[in-house]
Amino acid sequence: MLWTHKILWIATLVSAFAFLGMTVDSLHRMSASTHADQLSAQVIEGKRVWQHYDCNDCHTILGIGAYYAPDVTKSYSQRGAPWLRKFLENPAAMYPSGRQMPNFHLSSAQIDSLVAYLGWVSRIDTNGWPPSPEGVTPAEDAQRAAGGELAGSKIYLAQGCNACHTIQGSGGTIAPDLTHVGSRRNKSWILAQINDPRRINAQSVMPSFAQLPESAKQQLVDYLDSLK
Amino acid sequence: MRYKSQRIAREYLLAALMLFLLQVVFGILNIAKYIWGYDPLLNVIPFNVSRAIHINLLVFWLLLALMGATYYMVADELKTEIYSAKLGRLQLGILLLSGVAAIVGYLFQWNFGMPFLEQPTVIKLAIVVAALIFLANIGLTMFKNHHTLTRMTATLLGGMVMLAVMFLFGIPFMDNLSTQYYYWWWVIHLWVEGAWELIAASLVGWALIKVTGVSRRRIEGWVFAEVCLVLLTGIIGTGHHYYWIGTPHYWLWWGAIFSAAEPIPILMMLVDTVRHMLGARTLRSVNTLGLAWLGASAFVHFMGAGVWGFGQTLPQINRWTHGTQITASHGHFAFWGAYGMLAIALMYVILPELSGRDTEHGGKVGFTAFVSLNFSMIFMVMALLIAGIIQVYFQRVMGMEYLQVQSYMRMWYAVVLVAGSIFFVGTVLVLSDLLRLSRPIRTAEHVSEPEPETVPGD
Repeated sequence: MLWTHKILWIATLVSAFAFLGMTVDSLHRMSASTHADQLSAQVIEGKRVWQHYDCNDCHTILGIGAYYAPDVTKSYSQRGAPWLRKFLENPAAMYPSGRQMPNFHLSSAQIDSLVAYLGWVSRIDTNGWPPSPEGVTPAEDAQRAAGGELAGSKIYLAQGCNACHTIQGSGGTIAPDLTHVGSRRNKSWILAQINDPRRINAQSVMPSFAQLPESAKQQLVDYLDSLK
Repeated sequence: MRYKSQRIAREYLLAALMLFLLQVVFGILNIAKYIWGYDPLLNVIPFNVSRAIHINLLVFWLLLALMGATYYMVADELKTEIYSAKLGRLQLGILLLSGVAAIVGYLFQWNFGMPFLEQPTVIKLAIVVAALIFLANIGLTMFKNHHTLTRMTATLLGGMVMLAVMFLFGIPFMDNLSTQYYYWWWVIHLWVEGAWELIAASLVGWALIKVTGVSRRRIEGWVFAEVCLVLLTGIIGTGHHYYWIGTPHYWLWWGAIFSAAEPIPILMMLVDTVRHMLGARTLRSVNTLGLAWLGASAFVHFMGAGVWGFGQTLPQINRWTHGTQITASHGHFAFWGAYGMLAIALMYVILPELSGRDTEHGGKVGFTAFVSLNFSMIFMVMALLIAGIIQVYFQRVMGMEYLQVQSYMRMWYAVVLVAGSIFFVGTVLVLSDLLRLSRPIRTAEHVSEPEPETVPGD
């Protein structure tokens, strides 16, 4: 064996052992970074539901999987448990047009476990991934937050309203355009529509968002009312 | 062909080709689902099922091709019959049955639920049995002929053992998703950037000796160095998958440094292959298509795995591109160059040798297949890359909603569909050309006398 080959061979073996050493260390540290102590029976059951329905071959989780549907790593912190529950009960209710997720007819126990699992996943320390969008500068952010408008628009996006509604050309087309909704409707009408869409139009396919906290509903109403 | 037992290679390779065709069909179904929001098959074959089938067939046909080529190569190198052709057929039967059971199972939500490793545990165990039969069959063939063992066959066996051992880490269900993915990469990454590279390097080395007539000593020295460098960079290079999955921060350094060096051995392989191919000009008879596929494979391997991989391996970039269609672009390019094209190259080397058909002038069908497959793959990869860049910009940088950004990417999905349809035509052509080359010649059809070296046991 040539001496260069010997050196290469030894270096390769050293790298393999180094990798094993780093694995031992990583697994040790990961119990803290993933909050392994919070892996309750319900969370683990949620992982089983996730795998049973092969969710990972449409969605990415921690950025891994198929790219057909949104990444779910932070879906719990972005959407909140009530939204996720409602969506999992009937995906078409939240996204009535465009690319569809099949209704798997999950039992309420399965949905609870899956939501608990997504909650646990959203708390994993992912070294800052996914990155925050850079569309809004910190200065704009602070300014808008002071006016209260940003909080409402965040809720609007987090609840997926833009799947159906459009604001300034951005969003879905199956529901009314909300660009100037503030000049057409008053605050109490908007709040009533959010709570019970079928009150005014019995045929409406819009789901009720009555489950949102009152403060969040108020911020959403303020935001929509500001769109003159 | 020198040895009767080498015929099992033909069965493996032809089965692999059929599965390749099926993989392309499911790929087209997948991209159609991306383009049209309304999916009439939503409750019959939803996207996750057709995607699982697409990627399972990918792994499956490549494994069958590599195993079939291994049976042929080991007999050829060691100048012996395979320990048991019957065991080889039993192994193929188990693998095909497992594959059919897995695919039918997916349609009924019988699924383990990890990408690429969707096979339920029972089927994974059947695959382990088949792998053990394979290792025993190849191992015993080598053991019985240990005095003629070559470095190339030893490397090949090493790759196959690593492949089987790594698969075991994909079997258990782990409570912690991050731990599950930690070990999942031991299968996915350490297969394609470890075990499979070992297998590929030794098969390429062997095929180069066959089609270019280069001396064994020159090839073997290079193969050894390349294999060591693949492992040296690739093992800790696994760390580029450990940036964002709940793993320690130090992987951003280790993963970046080692994975950035991963293209080096691939570049060496390309340089090496080109050097040897230039030597083939002096040969009297050349297996043109075999040589073309081998050379093109080395180039696309470097572009797809080396350049495309390097493009997003640094954490500063990967932070934005991780989990987007840019990864799909890289995946298609790398798999096609490193393994898909290699499998076809090996078929062009092995099948005519088995049938005794002339390969010197290739043929129109074979060349049309070569051109259409490679050009359409490049279009597909470019379209996915552009779609991915749109996705990174609007979704990650601007913070737009996922589905809205998908609508901006639709045009590029349409390009993928067009390219995929041309790729399908190329697949049918390469299939028909290889079927023609694999049909044994009847004695009356013999154009030339068999070469003197076809006497068994020389």
